[in-house]
Amino acid sequence: MSTDTACPAQARLDPITLALVQNRLDYISCQMGWVMVRTARSPIFNQSHDFSCFVTDRLGTLVSQADGIPIHTGGGGFAVRAILERFAEAGISEGDVFLLNDPYVAGGNHLPDWVIARPVFSGGRLIAFTCNRAHQSDIGGGVAGTYNPLATEIFHEGVRLPPLRLVEAGDIREDLWELLLINTRTPDLLDGDLRAMLGSTRIGEQQVRELAESLRPEAVEPFFEGLLNHADKSLRAAVAALPDGVYRGEERFDNDCFEPMDIPIRLAVAVSGERLRVDFTGTAPQMRGFKNSSLANTYSAVYAALLSFFDPDIPRNEGTFRCVEIVAPKGTIVNALPPAPVTMCTVFPAHEIMHACWWALGQAAPARACAGWGKNSFPNSSGLHKNGLTWVLYHWIGLSGAGAVAGRDGFNQIGPIVTLGGLSLPNSETYEQLYPVKVRQQEFRCDGGGAGEFRGGTGVDSIIELETDVEFSFRSEGASRPTGLGVNGGLDGQQASLGVEERSGEAWTPPVYGVRRAGPARLAISSPGGGGFGDPLARDPGRVLRDVLDGTVSPTAAHDLYGVVLRSSGDELDGEATARRRAALAERTGSVAKG
Amino acid sequence: MTASSLPDQDRGVGRAWRIGVDVGGTFTDLVLMESDGALSVTKVPSVPGDPGAGVMAAVTAAAQARSLSSEELLAACDIFVHGSTIATNTVLERKGARVGLLTTKGFRDSLEIRRGLRADPWRHREPYPDVLVPRRLRWPVDGRIDRDGAEETALSEADVAAAVALFREAGVEAVAVAFFNSFLNTRHERRARELLQRDWDMPWVSLSGEISPTIGEYERSSTAVVNAYIAPRTVGYLTRLTDQLAAGGLSRQVLMMQNNAGTATLAQLAERPATLLLSGPAAAVGALEFFAEAAGSRDLISMEIGGTSCDIAMMGGGKVELTDALSIGGYDLALPSVDVHTIGAGGGTIAGVDAGGLLFAGPAGAGADPGPACYGKGGRLPTATDAQVILGRLSPGAFAGGSIEIDAARARHAMEEHVGAPLGLEIGDAAAGVVRLLEQKLLQGMQRMSSERGHDPRRFTLVACGGAGPLHGASVGRRLGVARVFVPKLAGAFCALGLLNSDLRQDYVRVHFTELDRADSATLDGIWAELTAEAAATLSDCGLIDGATAFERTADLRYRGQQWDVTVPLGLEFDAAEVRLRFEREHERLFGHIQPDGAIEITKLRLSGIGRVERLRGRQSARVQSRPAPATRRERSVWLDEIHGWREVPVHDEGELLSGHSLAGPVIVEAATTTVLVGATDRLEVLASGDYLIHVD
Repeated sequence: MSTDTACPAQARLDPITLALVQNRLDYISCQMGWVMVRTARSPIFNQSHDFSCFVTDRLGTLVSQADGIPIHTGGGGFAVRAILERFAEAGISEGDVFLLNDPYVAGGNHLPDWVIARPVFSGGRLIAFTCNRAHQSDIGGGVAGTYNPLATEIFHEGVRLPPLRLVEAGDIREDLWELLLINTRTPDLLDGDLRAMLGSTRIGEQQVRELAESLRPEAVEPFFEGLLNHADKSLRAAVAALPDGVYRGEERFDNDCFEPMDIPIRLAVAVSGERLRVDFTGTAPQMRGFKNSSLANTYSAVYAALLSFFDPDIPRNEGTFRCVEIVAPKGTIVNALPPAPVTMCTVFPAHEIMHACWWALGQAAPARACAGWGKNSFPNSSGLHKNGLTWVLYHWIGLSGAGAVAGRDGFNQIGPIVTLGGLSLPNSETYEQLYPVKVRQQEFRCDGGGAGEFRGGTGVDSIIELETDVEFSFRSEGASRPTGLGVNGGLDGQQASLGVEERSGEAWTPPVYGVRRAGPARLAISSPGGGGFGDPLARDPGRVLRDVLDGTVSPTAAHDLYGVVLRSSGDELDGEATARRRAALAERTGSVAKG
Repeated sequence: MTASSLPDQDRGVGRAWRIGVDVGGTFTDLVLMESDGALSVTKVPSVPGDPGAGVMAAVTAAAQARSLSSEELLAACDIFVHGSTIATNTVLERKGARVGLLTTKGFRDSLEIRRGLRADPWRHREPYPDVLVPRRLRWPVDGRIDRDGAEETALSEADVAAAVALFREAGVEAVAVAFFNSFLNTRHERRARELLQRDWDMPWVSLSGEISPTIGEYERSSTAVVNAYIAPRTVGYLTRLTDQLAAGGLSRQVLMMQNNAGTATLAQLAERPATLLLSGPAAAVGALEFFAEAAGSRDLISMEIGGTSCDIAMMGGGKVELTDALSIGGYDLALPSVDVHTIGAGGGTIAGVDAGGLLFAGPAGAGADPGPACYGKGGRLPTATDAQVILGRLSPGAFAGGSIEIDAARARHAMEEHVGAPLGLEIGDAAAGVVRLLEQKLLQGMQRMSSERGHDPRRFTLVACGGAGPLHGASVGRRLGVARVFVPKLAGAFCALGLLNSDLRQDYVRVHFTELDRADSATLDGIWAELTAEAAATLSDCGLIDGATAFERTADLRYRGQQWDVTVPLGLEFDAAEVRLRFEREHERLFGHIQPDGAIEITKLRLSGIGRVERLRGRQSARVQSRPAPATRRERSVWLDEIHGWREVPVHDEGELLSGHSLAGPVIVEAATTTVLVGATDRLEVLASGDYLIHVD
């Protein structure tokens, strides 16, 4: 048992109070989220929940983030530590509130995510920060809506904020506030959303202060430390259960947003006792386009991959990762240097980083391996309403299928991997009321999911008609090859395909990246499927039959990939023929047939 | 079985009695109100395989307690209200019908995609609960209603015929129809039903646009499917029970408690049994309305704690809010339902220490079987009830009419092994820790509901009920900041009592998109008039109520661009300026801001048809005067809280206390169905109604 971080004083902590403090802090960070949902102005918060609330100790160590989306898991500490570095503890006073977003100088993950951090004082001492990281609707930059696919420098992506004192001794700095508002296309939304962020951190501050006062302020720190230690112990125990060794994982881009090229992300996970090191040496240099990652985002993606791999009951604070070391060489796409653009990083390469971690960890603990999720390949489009207002539509109807794990097939369609499905899809009826569109189809693909003992998610065939002139912005990461890769003998899910047919009769295939204009048009997206887990010949034949009857697996695939033979009626298993077919296939592939 | 009643109950056979029967997992509770207002409770064991047998047994037992035959009892009954878990259990135990679903071509999978909703994304290894209709029985049909409600493509009757052939072949027992945009126009759905009934004589057809005429193909499909899934079993049960009761002498129609806290007759429910999914917890509303008088407040928050969970409901200014979202066992429905928040904290909640060495309490529970370790029924893990026994708050010995024998040694053993030893704590400290952690969860559950509903809980009176609620009420209330905690004398039969105090109610909704400032009041009033006529016809059909009907109008509104609505009560004449004012007031309360002059959109018009049932009148003791309680007969050592620790605490039997008695804490009151704990700085008052009021410091 390693004791390199354990503090002997911990032994004297009252275990009951420790449990109460943990439970209370999680409640406080959740409550900050409820306040945010209730008071924010943009749908991105009250509908899509693209924000995270968290509490750090006075040194910026994250102690609770009960309400965060997975890709925000590791960023919190970076932001608060940047504030402490800039202002120093002595320069932080009661009533101050700080704001930042910059990934290069302020511990941000990407520019749209703004962090509000509010110091908590009790008895005249700084004891904590209550914080809210939230994706703003618009922050200037090259295009409306924060994602500029043509960016080649961070200056094309919006306004950069170093650590700023937004509120000084209780008063908002109005000149600074005005500076922020003139740098957005949607000042009303930004104004309302920033106030909601301030309000949510104020509620958090009051409650953390009350908690501290119930304990005596000087007693808080040992309890925070106790919580970090508890999380530390929990992940260490999980890591210690892995066999020592070095496990490699690799993922890649096939384009830099402008032209085809091979861009690998390579990592080695070294497990040694209860420590784990993730080393990205060998990863490609930073690219021209905006799929570079900030350091905070790379840490978050690694953390999300680790936590989703292990038991979900492992607590999630910064202590969890004391046994984890991350090496991200400067100037690579996982630790880009200015002025590289990075806005896409919370999606790509976060997806690639999570996959590469999963591939490596899956070798260490095959039973927990996670198959790949299809990379999202849907565009956004924009146009004008009859009243002249601009609409912007993210085609979430074309979301991908997820990979399988032992015990469950992949979700056939689900929110992005970086949220682990935490962001939900809108109803198509709602789309039709909000946008000039008609949704014609959103149905599972046949044979879209990678075959396996547990099948990958199918992805969907979707068709939407756009009734006005539109401008498409494409980013089809999953369209040129399979991206939902299988594990442990499971097969890959199908790649995406897209097609546009204009009302004029012109039909064309969209580029992988790029902006195209069109008249009223019909957009078809077949979204990519997820990867399978385990040998398809080990799949319960009854489940294969059900998939065939459901039309999500073809009789041909059942026969060729799963070795399942149906009677001529097509709706019954032929048990004997299946056993023979599976034995023959197993001999050919060297796998062991079951069932 | 046990029968308990108010001390000064009149036993004569009266008329116009009311009976409420609430069937729970362990007990079936019957509350009887006699014509003079006297209330009594009968508790019998539930019969899981045949819940109707439990109902009849409760009726027989209540009659016997009065030396009546059950025929005499039922004949004297004017209102018979039933709360049942049959619909919920049919879903949770997967005992529903084989369902076929008709969808619009292109949307065959909306039901199974489920909008990708995940309760906890970190638990990504957990599969969804099985889809209730497999894909091969989800049949796409050509035909389309457009976004304005007009027919774009005619319904393909050939496709419906093909579905009929498939469903017959597959042994389908109930059909759901959920067409795209049917919330705007149900013509295609209604035509499909005609065809299903003409060509097949299918009795169980659920139309999404009728059951839940709200936007959102996923939630609407899911609602129709759950409804179809539970219909044959639920309606079958209710029909048999109704027949049995009628044969047994009941001359009135049986009323059922619905999700919306109103009651309805079997005839009204046959088409939409999904409105029974929250039948038990929804009765909390009637109970809170009843207790408002005795508690002296219309701002009540209730904490009903049973064996496995705690249900929290909030009544602000006499109103309990409804939501349109309901989730049962992972299946989503869009139906107006009482906003009840359930947390996994009850008497059976299991405590322990996790792999990292931290204490936990819940969410897992020991249930009724094996139950807490102290029950000696095979439970080995320490629960909240075990902690209460160790802390001296619950006394060892016979319990629940002798059906359970509490063994303190078993409680101590379990607590020592699973909490005390791993944490290095004395057993009493371990048990105190478990109770404190549990109470923190209860507190936070109430803080959350207050926060989401825009209420300051400190002005509220906490109502502590359910078997385990009164043990925690004073302690949690103190932390919540309330001044008063109300403990009903019939704490253990909270919901059954609520059944007796509920109106008949039917809710209607019509989707109608228009800007408030451009709304044509004649059009809106016309829609409301249609809905009112429909509601009036339904209420008059049930023939139970003499006169007393009421019709309440509400509308759902939002600022342009917002994705969710605020429901605002309206007067009987539509007045846009008045509506704007009411909307802004509610928006300010819920969200903390308004948009001055912001464009407001109307999205839905709602109407509630209410058949008023005469309110229960609390019975006041005639002999109330302030007087000291009788001298303490018993004392025992009890752990009170982290400040006062262990103290010798006087223990009273409920029979010793009379209206007007006032006792300084600490004190314990032992009642038939519950135990009340009054803290060291609190004061207990016995009200004229016989209920308890704890003044907390």
